[in-house]
Amino acid sequence: MKPLHLISPTSSFYEQLSKLSLMSSKEFFTDRYRKLGWKYHTVELKKTIRINSANVKKPPDLVKRLQDLGLVLTKVPFLKNGYWVEESRFSAGATTGYLSGLYSIQEAAAQIPATLFTELKDKTVLDACAAPGGKTTQLADLMRNTGAIVALDVNRQRLTALSNQLERCQVKNTIVYQLDARRVSQLETSYDRILLDVPCSGNFATDRNWFKRRTIKDVERNAALQREILTETVKMLEDDGEIIYSTCSLEPEENELNIDWAIRNLDMRVEEISCHGQEGLTEVFGKHLDGSVGNCMRIWPGQTQGFFVCKLLKSESA
Amino acid sequence: MIKPIDDFVSLFGASISLEESLIVKKRNRYFLLSASLKKLTLKDFFYAGTYLGKVKNGRFFPGFELLRMMAEKKANKVVVNEKTEWLFICGRDVFKRGIVKVIGPGRKGDHVLVLNCYGECLGFGRVISDLDKEGVVIKNILDIGDFLRREARTL
Repeated sequence: MKPLHLISPTSSFYEQLSKLSLMSSKEFFTDRYRKLGWKYHTVELKKTIRINSANVKKPPDLVKRLQDLGLVLTKVPFLKNGYWVEESRFSAGATTGYLSGLYSIQEAAAQIPATLFTELKDKTVLDACAAPGGKTTQLADLMRNTGAIVALDVNRQRLTALSNQLERCQVKNTIVYQLDARRVSQLETSYDRILLDVPCSGNFATDRNWFKRRTIKDVERNAALQREILTETVKMLEDDGEIIYSTCSLEPEENELNIDWAIRNLDMRVEEISCHGQEGLTEVFGKHLDGSVGNCMRIWPGQTQGFFVCKLLKSESA
Repeated sequence: MIKPIDDFVSLFGASISLEESLIVKKRNRYFLLSASLKKLTLKDFFYAGTYLGKVKNGRFFPGFELLRMMAEKKANKVVVNEKTEWLFICGRDVFKRGIVKVIGPGRKGDHVLVLNCYGECLGFGRVISDLDKEGVVIKNILDIGDFLRREARTL
């Protein structure tokens, strides 16, 4: 009798495990989170706004104006320009203030990456996976519309959404190309700062069907794509440049394991950052990672969605 | 300046000065670049700098930043009250009772920028009746609610 090959020698440990077990996808992933030190629980995310400070002379006046309209706002303690919408009588995305680009709607954790760059004014910045543009408009705001942002995305429909965001937020320093980040060298430009908010598997906090939709294979496919993007964009980074790498995935393959890989294969080092979250994992399912991966920040869902962020610099030997 | 933009601006009795060497045309759309952006601009960009507007069927359709630039200068404007502000960004015309202030002659046929009480430009329209007569006096041509309509189209 032919043996039943449930386990292929090339499939990953977790793929093999999920094939062998009778676990549901939810059990499978939540068990992984438990092993990584976090107990799964459902979360209810609050809508968050970010004030576009370059377009608002006095942010407290805008907050008062929105409160007078019936939005109940509380300051997000770990963000300079972020406010949670506790209650509202109408959509925060349909006010004159929003349509005039005085503020944007952007999840709280997603507001963190752009703030981690040191000095952005007059820099040449690459936003490698830019659509729909929340972080691009935030970068432009932090740059006070100086320097230049090159924003890339592959999907034309998403580029239209990105362009609308740029126009709404009064962004003047950005050029948008329909281009796969893996082909960034075609533009023949080097960058002082690179934001890699890479395509990822997402997390259950922002997608109620996440566990039904996702498999470990998706995670591994995304992780491979992220490594390709990292490899190609690092080539275009100035020697004293900075990369901020972020995902809204909870899966270590897309986060700590990829950063460990970048340290070993791309001569990058992880710079310490200070932001909301916990230190990155340095031991993942029994695998010991480079100690500096602890400089990454991992945010488990709770006050915000799940998130991962780190700052990469070229190592001195590179 | 570029003729379609110049002609449009003059409809409002306004005048703005844009550095022509920094204006690029991509198909029917006009963009204003900064000097640092110009160095990075290749032919096949999707969007760049400040979107000024597009020409379609011989007519110029402005971008909102162009309207904002005009609103900062001398131009025909009306300031509307809060209720009219909301109705206008929902695509409605302006009634006489919603106008708080008229800047410029406000003659029938004139184009006017429509501003809220914070001085934010909500869009523009055309005066279709004497501004001292009751009823609809300004026909809405473009308003910032267009961003929401575009969002709905791209979803």
